Amino acid sequence: MSEVLRAVDLSKRFGRTMVLDRLNMDVPEGGVYALVGANGVGKTTTIKILMNLQQPTSGRGEVFGHDSRRISAQDFTRIGYVSENQEIPEWMTVEYLMRYLQPFYPNWDSSRANELLRQFDLPLQRKLKYLSHGMRMKAALASSLAYRPALIVLDEPFTGLDALVRDELIEGLLESAEGSTILISSHDLSEIESFASHVGYLENGRLQFSEEMASLSRRFREIEVTLPEPAGLPPNWPSAWINVERSAAVVRFVDTQFERDRTLAEVHRVFPQPKQVTVDAMPLRSIFVTLAKAGRKAA
Amino acid sequence: MRQAIHIFLKDVRGHWYEIAITLAVTAAFAFTGAMQSTFWRNGGQSRSLASALLVYVLPLAWWILIARVIHSESLPGDRQFWLTRPYRKSSLLGAKALLVLLCINVPMLIADAIIVSAYDFPIAPMLPGLLWRQVLLTAVFILPAAALSALTTGFVQLALTLAAIGTGVLAWTFIAPGLNSDSGDLWFTLEWIRTYYQVLSAATAALAIVAWQYARRKTAVARILAVAAVILIAAGIEWISWPTAFWIQALFSQRGFEEPAIAIHFDQKRSWSAGVLYEPHSVRLYIPLTVRGVPSGTQAMPIALTATIGAPDRTSWKTTGDPPSNVASEGQLTALRTEVDKAFYERVKDQPVTIRGTLYFALFGHERITRLAFQNQFVDVPGAGRCTATQALTGQSYFVLCDSAFRSPKDFITMEWMDLRRNAGRATNPTLDRSGSPFPADLGINPIYQYSNYDVLQGPASAADVHTMEPLAYVKRDFEIDNLRLSDLERH
Repeated sequence: MSEVLRAVDLSKRFGRTMVLDRLNMDVPEGGVYALVGANGVGKTTTIKILMNLQQPTSGRGEVFGHDSRRISAQDFTRIGYVSENQEIPEWMTVEYLMRYLQPFYPNWDSSRANELLRQFDLPLQRKLKYLSHGMRMKAALASSLAYRPALIVLDEPFTGLDALVRDELIEGLLESAEGSTILISSHDLSEIESFASHVGYLENGRLQFSEEMASLSRRFREIEVTLPEPAGLPPNWPSAWINVERSAAVVRFVDTQFERDRTLAEVHRVFPQPKQVTVDAMPLRSIFVTLAKAGRKAA
Repeated sequence: MRQAIHIFLKDVRGHWYEIAITLAVTAAFAFTGAMQSTFWRNGGQSRSLASALLVYVLPLAWWILIARVIHSESLPGDRQFWLTRPYRKSSLLGAKALLVLLCINVPMLIADAIIVSAYDFPIAPMLPGLLWRQVLLTAVFILPAAALSALTTGFVQLALTLAAIGTGVLAWTFIAPGLNSDSGDLWFTLEWIRTYYQVLSAATAALAIVAWQYARRKTAVARILAVAAVILIAAGIEWISWPTAFWIQALFSQRGFEEPAIAIHFDQKRSWSAGVLYEPHSVRLYIPLTVRGVPSGTQAMPIALTATIGAPDRTSWKTTGDPPSNVASEGQLTALRTEVDKAFYERVKDQPVTIRGTLYFALFGHERITRLAFQNQFVDVPGAGRCTATQALTGQSYFVLCDSAFRSPKDFITMEWMDLRRNAGRATNPTLDRSGSPFPADLGINPIYQYSNYDVLQGPASAADVHTMEPLAYVKRDFEIDNLRLSDLERH
């Protein structure tokens, strides 16, 4: 798979604050890449640089194989961008927004556009300024999916939306995005775990990891070790074991590099005579919370 | 082009309210301007209140429309929806330009045409003036408004920027006179050069900012350019020297005219008119000069003078102020008028001094005389516009009222009140409102420039002769007056 979006040593500094620090990221063609991280870690900045809305301090972004600083109007006919904080022409009605945008896109699919409007239950004659936040996001998404873009970039699209609207948006997105590459940022992995194929975790401007979701699910496990009697933590604690909790004779932690045989061998090395060892798979939301907590402790 | 028209149509739909207001104000301007022609002709003296107000409301409407239209796809920032849509920047700029052209330039062109027609000026010869007015309107109102709108995200930011610029300009008007004592002097005929310097600088900077912002969207750089331009425009005006302005004026005015052998001397015959006036720290000198060698049929109109008074001990005093302030000119009489340091004067007044100087003057010729009967009827007066002569209902007060399309006259204009029964005339002072500008229109909102001449006569007048002389050349002559004893001037 070739990369539709790339960040190569991408850095961004605002005054003395380093928002992005040598970020490297590849979004493969056809993939759904979730860029996750807590609020303020640089997700929106990354996306804005890739969309040429901001300039990098150093490094570069690439879109469809060429420098993001030179994205042309032609390129944008193949890109759908929706952001929670994007300004929209509020005086337009939903219908006029769609009618206005249509001539900009050679691939505009009117039947698909009508379908999306119906699916999202958008009031055609209502001005955008009179729509709720959720409705506006639906209108923005409908206007960005009607031309079946090759690349869909969504920046925190579900923030502030109730579960029903979020599900409607996801449904509409997935129906229209067949074959499209999607980059979606979120501070909550649970929003996107059901459809993301790849995930990148951003913390303090650095990408901590970037991999396929399946691989991520495989390598995170919550491990509970019951000891014969209460004891302190041994000094040679593996660095891949994070979020350690202790209560009397029970030690809990998360292994971030789980491989069944290797991990169990390591547990027996650290705790020579465990009474019981349990290994539990983790939902992605728990993985994200674990990583966020570990990051805060380290900071 | 198709995309530009598509965006333009969207802007028309989105800003119909502002467009409607602008068109309504322009229509009102045309209507009141045209009505003004009858008001003036029916004996009215001043513009109506509505007409006076519209001069301010019209530019305000333009600014609001331009700002609103540009801000609908604002350039600074990273949250605007259009940034991630397939907008070609050339189309976006083209759409905005098209709207300004169709909603401001074309309506104003039509309004100007309606107004000058109402004043009975034929349209075809007025075409260069009509078009030049649009160039000035674009340079002075549209481009700066577009540039500031391209640097701001919304109307509030634009208003704050304007307030900041206004405060800066106000502060500069207080600071500038302290830096350059000449800055307050008027340049009269040459004033247009300072005006055009400002117009040209502002328009060039604004055009560069608009082009840069629409091409690159590097707002920080464009804002630095804007601040530099404002400083350059405000400060630059202080740095244009009068001799440079005169050189420019001469460049525009020379039309293969062979310069005559004009010479300037101390006017012995008028030494009675010389004068010395003591002030607390200075002495005002008034030294009559005579201009000889002016070809017949032409008239030399002194417009400026610089001089240095040199004492035998090699000390000297140079005239201060801008050169126009050193010349006194009334009819055919010319004089050096300057203020000298009192200590210097007291030291050299009884010694033979040498005055070396340069007199700058305009030469006028091709005199034409147009006779106006007191019939309250406007007639064409070549070089002056369309004029009428009227007599006040009571007394011996006489007026000549003139309308000039788009600009103040270039010609040297004098009036003569004629008593045709006795075949006698009485000349008036020349009209001061003269511009040396070579362009067919002056900067201003109103397309009609009005001026008048008024006199109260002892005897009756039956007609007014308007004498107009074309500017032939702007020339300067150096002169030297030797062995002048300044104390001799005190005796007169």
